[in-house]
Amino acid sequence: MRESNIMKIHYITGISAIILVAIHIMFRLIMPYGASLEYENVIANYKNLPYTIVLELVLVTVAIHGFNGLRIILIELRQGRVWEKSMTWLCIIGAASIIAYGTRTIILASLTGEV
Amino acid sequence: MKENREGIKGWLRPYKYGLPRFAYWLQRWTGVGLLVYFIAHVIETSNIVNGKIAWDKMLELTQTTQGHIILTLVIGMCVFHAANGVRLYFAEGGKGLGKAGRPEYPYNPLSLNNKMKACIWVSIALAALAMMYGASILFGE
Repeated sequence: MRESNIMKIHYITGISAIILVAIHIMFRLIMPYGASLEYENVIANYKNLPYTIVLELVLVTVAIHGFNGLRIILIELRQGRVWEKSMTWLCIIGAASIIAYGTRTIILASLTGEV
Repeated sequence: MKENREGIKGWLRPYKYGLPRFAYWLQRWTGVGLLVYFIAHVIETSNIVNGKIAWDKMLELTQTTQGHIILTLVIGMCVFHAANGVRLYFAEGGKGLGKAGRPEYPYNPLSLNNKMKACIWVSIALAALAMMYGASILFGE
């Protein structure tokens, strides 16, 4: 993929992340912060389908934006075809791993009490 | 001949190059910090699938004074990174950039105009305000 297209993705995920993270934080503030972290309330959050979709989108956008940012930093530090390809693949694997792990949590938590 | 490259040491130094360079440095560091927090947050919240006892144990570890200080710093990093990131969108689009000119003493950078410089300070101020608000919620309970 061309670097200009990757940067477009970086900007789109950045703006999306601002909006989605704001929604995520607001869910912690609709009740006293301590109470919002209680097990029952957190499980209730995961059982709310629209919020679960927001959580998954936060996970995907922040992972892509974050790992692409890391890739940009690493490529700036050192140049070379092997280095750049290695860093790109390392960051793709990192992002895919964290998305898979987070998605597993979202699915299992949303099914808690139903299985 | 040895290349005159400072590598990561040059990247780590925030001074000597003025405000735009400081904003660049802060954007990078807050980005790395937020990525570390994001990974830790995904791992930490995965405890929810292990039941109430595991979740409460995790909260005992994170909902402490040190945990709240870290979270306050994360709030500041998040707000600065977002606000300065929006400024960078405009800069990337060529808005707020100075006109090209001859390099004359005292070599003030022409790349950023005063509006852009003000935006950097506004980003820092917003981050400080968000940290104060976040700390009041986290430590207020």
